[in-house]
Amino acid sequence: MNEGLDKGREIFTEEANELLAELEISLLELEETPTDTELIGRVFRAMHTIKGSGAMFGFEDIAHFTHEVETAFDLVRTGNMLVTKELMNLTLRARDQIRAMLDGISVDEAISNEIIASLRALMNSSATSEQVEYEPQDHRAVGSQTGQESKDVDSDITTYRIRFKPHKELFLTGSNPLLMLGELSELGNCVVIAQTAAIPLLRELDPEMCFVSWDIVLTTCHGQNAIKDVFIFVQDICDLTIETIEADSNMQEEERHLKLGEILLSRGDVTIDELNKVLGKQRRVGEILVDAGLVKEEQIQAALVEQQHIKDVRQQRAKQESMASIRVPSEKLDGLVDLVGELVTVQARLTQTSVAFADPVLSVIAEEVERITWELRDRTMGIRMLPIGSTFSKFKRLVRDLSDELGKEIVMTTDGADTELDKTVIEKLNDPLVHIIRNSIDHGIESPEVRVQAGKPRHGTVHLIAGHSGANVLIQIQDDGAGLDKEAILNKAVKNGIITPDAELLEKEIFSLIFEPGFSTAKTVTSVSGRGVGMDVVKKNIAALRGTVDIKSKKGVGTTIALKLPLTLAIIDGLLVKVGEDYYVIPLSAVHECVELTANDIEKSHGRHISYVRGAIVPYIRLREQFLINAPVPEVEQIVITEAEDQRVGLVVDYVIGEHQTVIKSLGRMYKSVEGVSGATILGDGTVALIVDVPKIVSSVKLEGSEVAL
Amino acid sequence: MSKTIMTVDDSASIRQMVSFTLKGAGYTVVEAVDGKDALAKLKTNTVHMVITDLNMPNLDGIGLIRAVRAIPSFKFIPIVMLTTESQDTKKQEGKTAGATGWIVKPFKPEQLLTVVKKVLG
Amino acid sequence: MAVASITDTTQYLTFKLAEEVFALDIVKVREVLEFSSVTKIPRTPVFMRGVINLRGSVVPVVDLRLKFGMSQTEKNINTCVIIVEISLGSEKTILGALADSVQEVIELEPERIEPPPNIGMHMNTEFIKGMGKRDDVFIIILDIDRIFTLEELADFHKTGQQFN
Repeated sequence: MNEGLDKGREIFTEEANELLAELEISLLELEETPTDTELIGRVFRAMHTIKGSGAMFGFEDIAHFTHEVETAFDLVRTGNMLVTKELMNLTLRARDQIRAMLDGISVDEAISNEIIASLRALMNSSATSEQVEYEPQDHRAVGSQTGQESKDVDSDITTYRIRFKPHKELFLTGSNPLLMLGELSELGNCVVIAQTAAIPLLRELDPEMCFVSWDIVLTTCHGQNAIKDVFIFVQDICDLTIETIEADSNMQEEERHLKLGEILLSRGDVTIDELNKVLGKQRRVGEILVDAGLVKEEQIQAALVEQQHIKDVRQQRAKQESMASIRVPSEKLDGLVDLVGELVTVQARLTQTSVAFADPVLSVIAEEVERITWELRDRTMGIRMLPIGSTFSKFKRLVRDLSDELGKEIVMTTDGADTELDKTVIEKLNDPLVHIIRNSIDHGIESPEVRVQAGKPRHGTVHLIAGHSGANVLIQIQDDGAGLDKEAILNKAVKNGIITPDAELLEKEIFSLIFEPGFSTAKTVTSVSGRGVGMDVVKKNIAALRGTVDIKSKKGVGTTIALKLPLTLAIIDGLLVKVGEDYYVIPLSAVHECVELTANDIEKSHGRHISYVRGAIVPYIRLREQFLINAPVPEVEQIVITEAEDQRVGLVVDYVIGEHQTVIKSLGRMYKSVEGVSGATILGDGTVALIVDVPKIVSSVKLEGSEVAL
Repeated sequence: MSKTIMTVDDSASIRQMVSFTLKGAGYTVVEAVDGKDALAKLKTNTVHMVITDLNMPNLDGIGLIRAVRAIPSFKFIPIVMLTTESQDTKKQEGKTAGATGWIVKPFKPEQLLTVVKKVLG
Repeated sequence: MAVASITDTTQYLTFKLAEEVFALDIVKVREVLEFSSVTKIPRTPVFMRGVINLRGSVVPVVDLRLKFGMSQTEKNINTCVIIVEISLGSEKTILGALADSVQEVIELEPERIEPPPNIGMHMNTEFIKGMGKRDDVFIIILDIDRIFTLEELADFHKTGQQFN
């Protein structure tokens, strides 16, 4: 939208300048032939356009000032004022004044005021002077009621009875009653009954006329004005009544449903006398009334529908009241999650015990408890899930402010704002996202001039996408900026001693250098992205959430940073493995498959840590070497094939035990900086197993440049 | 198929703004600079709705509305007029001529779209 | 000569490391557990024996003998884990300290506690709050908060300490 507005401003300035040039000529001509209506019309239209379009594109001052001149020429046009030398002088001066305003020169307001005063004096002295004050319209485009304000939700839910009886000529204005009924139904729970009694016989029917009227029962939280707005364009060509049948407030006191007769009565379809007369008979009120010819079948139908609608609304309201959400302090939730965690642990113990006892009765119970526990776990985790949308919308403002500050034109778009994430993850995601977006805006997206030169649209785009991918949430931050400059990154990294000049790196490895501490490629330090502290912090923060950061970039096209995060921080599905006497859990989300590693395989690969998995070469890391475990090696080891940093890497363990519901426990402050272990969990027998931090291990092996051919 | 809307205005900036907004919302837009131009273009284009200014040279908005309504195939087409007049006379004249609705200038793009949706669906 | 920081009669839990008797302010002690098994965390200093499961919480366990330059604690029937609450920087944290055996809870009046001698001790006297005496046995009163500093615990991987 902004682009349209800016473009509009440009065109307006151009257009207004042309109009002013024309105006000058017209005025000079008009001085010669003061009664030329064509010329007068031209002057008026020029003023009219400058005023109208000016206000549209934010030139309030011009609109305000031009209004006065326009008013004067409206009088001339309608023959209520004569073209005089004085008027011409004033108008020409006004024209110059407008031109100055347009050029953005600071104009002398005193002159403006003087011109206005003189024009007014002139108008006052002429015959009839109907003056309209120029009031800057606060963008109430359609009538007085329409506009944003009517959308404000009155919290009170009210049921209205609307009778909409268009005049026959309705269609001749191009109005479509069906659209209005559609609009009504968007306001709330709506029942529409068409009244077709007025339709004449086919041979008498004029198909261009409207004979149908509608009764509508609408339950809405929008006020009466919103309903009136629906019919605003047709208010002169229809009979419209809006009555309140039931407001929220009087709900409690009366819980009875209105009887059909009462509804017909209150709708004025029948009088009390008529009703009483027929009530003497013992049939259903509706039938009796129809038979008696007092009301039409359709009117009864409408009333019945209204009765049903109110019943429904009441039922629904009762339901809503009982279903209403409750706010719970998050500590209570955290406590619940802790308890569920303990339950999961105990359940694991129960299952283990039941296996040991091999008692059919016990194992049935254990299975039942397991099923319920898992369900409870999922539900509890679900409560902590929040859509990421609120975080996204915060960034809109950030993007707006930053692009302003940097003189860039940037639009932010989002996708998947309803993707749900654990609330703790969302909270901790804020800072990293801010940093990435800042970087995109500051270093990524070019200035409008540069972009235009490169054949790109003036405005850059930052696109935020969230979505699920297995047990993870994938958040991508895309920009269509300049992309990462590989050379600049390399030079900088060499200069900062991060790499040696002769280092040969893959594109991916080069990009990942920007996550190294103390790295910054920006040639100038700006207040926006700071001083090259940032991307390393981003990586650290995301790693703390057990997530990974991935970066893709193409020079001149843009950069995409992808964050992969676990759905929840509290409980994960894990694969329980054993090395020596110790148990470890590998997050299942990272695991692809398990294969055997035999002595034969080891021999074949000549001492290199490489295995062949269905033809593909997969390097592996021995967990026992990484964790310095001294224990006899079994005949056949197992390789757990995992994926870390977009690469398949095997972790060699002694035994794979199986899946394990892993309640994640922090190792506490004392073990805060342990590498390769992201936490601990308690097994069924009460022993503590450590959770393997796969990406950390892989990257640390890479850094060591060990014998592993990664 | 997207619906086609004709914007009739002698002000290029207004045409630009209306056209940009509508195109952004997926409509096809035909531009006309005044009533006469609009009538000529209606003959050769499929148009589902007309948005017209009132004060224009050659043929003004009121005249255009009357003329459009006189064409059988456009008898029921939605026509929205752009008015700057806050007084009702001009608006009333337009309604009598057969306008479906109106928008008071200045307006915001969203308001334009609201009205288009209202009368065009 | 009494210790300035000890002004009130305080209860202490006494325990043995090798043949020496140590004491901890009872306020610091949460509970005493039997020592069963511990899960070693890879790539950590040897005195950090690992973690145990304390009713669902994971609690680190340290070997005081190693910390004080003695040989590693060997597990036997009397081996205990004393769960203490220590201040680590501004935060409190729970950890377990291994002891060869736990003795008793005693009361010591301030005047019966003396500052540690500067020489003749085979351990860093910074960890010692004072020396008490009871039945002719010297009791070393530990200042548990000072034994573990934040830097030492958080940065062990940088200090190049001995790994197991």
